[in-house]
Amino acid sequence: MDDEDMSCTSGEDYGGYGDEDYYNEADVDAADDVAVTPTHSEEADYECLSVNQVERVFIDGVNSLVSRIQINEKYARILLEANQWDADKIVTGYRKDRTEFMRKSHIESKPEPKRTLSATTSMLKGYCSVCAMDGYPTLPHLSCGHCFCEHCWRGHIESRLSEGVAARIECMESECEVYAPSEFVLLLLKSLPALKVKYERFLLRDMVNSHPQLKFCVGNDCEVIIRSTEPKPKRVTCQCCHTSFCVKCGADYHAPTSCETIRQWMTKCADDSETANYISAHTKDCPQCHSCIEKAGGCNHIQCTRCKHHFCWMCFGDWKSHGSEYYECSRYKENPSVAAEANHVKARRALEKYLHYFERFENHSKSLKMEEELRDKIRKKIDDKVNEHNGTWIDWQYLHKSVSLLTKCRYTLQYTYPFAYYLGAGPRKNLFEYQQAQLEKEVEELAWAVERAEVTARGALEAHMHRAEHKRQVLLHDFFF
Amino acid sequence: MSNIALNRLQRECKEVVTNSEVSETGIMIEILNENLTEIKGHIRGPPDTPYAGGMFDLDIKIPEAYPFSPPNASLEAVKFTTKIWHPNVSSQTGVICLDILKDQWAASLTLRTVLLSIQALMCSPEPKDPQDAVVAKQYMDKPQVFKDTAAFWTLKFANGTVPVNAEYQNRVDKLKDMGVREEEAISVLSCNNWDLNRATVYIFS
Repeated sequence: MDDEDMSCTSGEDYGGYGDEDYYNEADVDAADDVAVTPTHSEEADYECLSVNQVERVFIDGVNSLVSRIQINEKYARILLEANQWDADKIVTGYRKDRTEFMRKSHIESKPEPKRTLSATTSMLKGYCSVCAMDGYPTLPHLSCGHCFCEHCWRGHIESRLSEGVAARIECMESECEVYAPSEFVLLLLKSLPALKVKYERFLLRDMVNSHPQLKFCVGNDCEVIIRSTEPKPKRVTCQCCHTSFCVKCGADYHAPTSCETIRQWMTKCADDSETANYISAHTKDCPQCHSCIEKAGGCNHIQCTRCKHHFCWMCFGDWKSHGSEYYECSRYKENPSVAAEANHVKARRALEKYLHYFERFENHSKSLKMEEELRDKIRKKIDDKVNEHNGTWIDWQYLHKSVSLLTKCRYTLQYTYPFAYYLGAGPRKNLFEYQQAQLEKEVEELAWAVERAEVTARGALEAHMHRAEHKRQVLLHDFFF
Repeated sequence: MSNIALNRLQRECKEVVTNSEVSETGIMIEILNENLTEIKGHIRGPPDTPYAGGMFDLDIKIPEAYPFSPPNASLEAVKFTTKIWHPNVSSQTGVICLDILKDQWAASLTLRTVLLSIQALMCSPEPKDPQDAVVAKQYMDKPQVFKDTAAFWTLKFANGTVPVNAEYQNRVDKLKDMGVREEEAISVLSCNNWDLNRATVYIFS
């Protein structure tokens, strides 16, 4: 049995739900009971790094760049940060036009017209144009040669840090875009340990964020940095805090949905745009005072409670004008108020579609929470049985495994709904919804069997498990891998 | 306020006052309180513009982290107190949209450069990046109306010298006869491209 088999049914493979427990190892041992062989792993290839190990990664990157082009190490860092650590891109740009490339990368300054003012004031010895004082023994400057006193540099760096800028601190001269290398900043902050720590922390954040293979663990207060070359939005689990998340975007693992789609979906669920849609679909504005009215009864003769205006819900006309010919508005007329109605209809359609998917997404999320309780109950039941000498705990492992598998399948099922919501109509959607329906059916049958595990024969339960996992694998295979 | 900022500001005030350019460019600084946190700026309207001859006043509030953050770090810290009709200045509040007051600020810039930049903005407005959308639209669609309106505002609010469109004064007087304050009359007429009917409807509905 190979590693992929194990990861597929191991206890820690249920997407962040539940704690690890001592049954896990047994799970792995017994995994071949469910003979589903996935062709791909849902786990990304990754390693967990400490801050020191990450620094090593940066140094290696810098060294390999320095060996290819004639450049100082401190500038190599700036170049790599600005170019997502793509050494080939840097070498190509550098070889094509060195001067232009160094200017564009904020390492060398653009040629600038001499200012009349700075020409006169720089005659003064040791003059800093920011604090407007002279007599400074040293005036540090970047490669651009704009001199300022140490006090002002510190003030500038502190001000940038308070805005969260670290890797891209610019020269203080106006329109000069040269960035300060870290060794320049660290030298100035030597006497200010608190600020130095802050700078180093922000710089690490900037460097990690610019590196395509690195990602901070999303766990609370976890300092681990994940390194992975995985191109697909697969799952990683931090070895330190055991948080599971998507290796690409850092959100909860969301197969088969893509990172962009899940981001769109989550924003849609979080913001109140749907509230607006609801209002638009279910209410109309009083034609006289424009207050918002929700129709609660069947009668189309509406009286606005605020301005007491009587009007017709269908045509917005004054109710009096309906006169002898009631329901004149049932006849189709090309008029602007009917056109306005079309928008209501459209909004209502959109709302219905969204609610359809959202309700199912939410419902599975709730079921997952409730099945956590089921897991505890089964754990207790196994303990009781073992204590009563009714079989050993190894004998009852299949019960525990069945809940784990149920959680895993339901989790994937939950995330098929955002995928389906954004999938355009067509044969691909038909196939997806067919497979989704199959998985839905198997998951519910499995859930039924698990909840009644005591009266279900082990063989029947395992058959359910096998079928559910099989459907899940087929769906992931066709739409995720 | 830090020592750096105090030194800087004292020096800057001296720079603006003594610089020989002052008489040529027409920018001035006036200190309002001892600790230099509130400063008044004056800009003479540049010649050959609708603002010619006018004298425009500005409020400048100096933030704690000056000069490392721009005088505009908190919203509305640099603004016109004289009413002005300009695409990059709010006709209601006087707030200015200028890059060096925001992200393009550099510690080596001074109040002098800020005032000079604002003066340059008066010569060449940037309607693509407007602060006041109504003014910007008029600037793009009806350049002549914009020029006349800006000159009218300069005369009324900034003691300008450019002769104004007599018909505009006529319409302002008509609204005044209906009991509208002059400032409101000018503002509403300007926003409605001097259409007296629309301005009347706007005020009285």
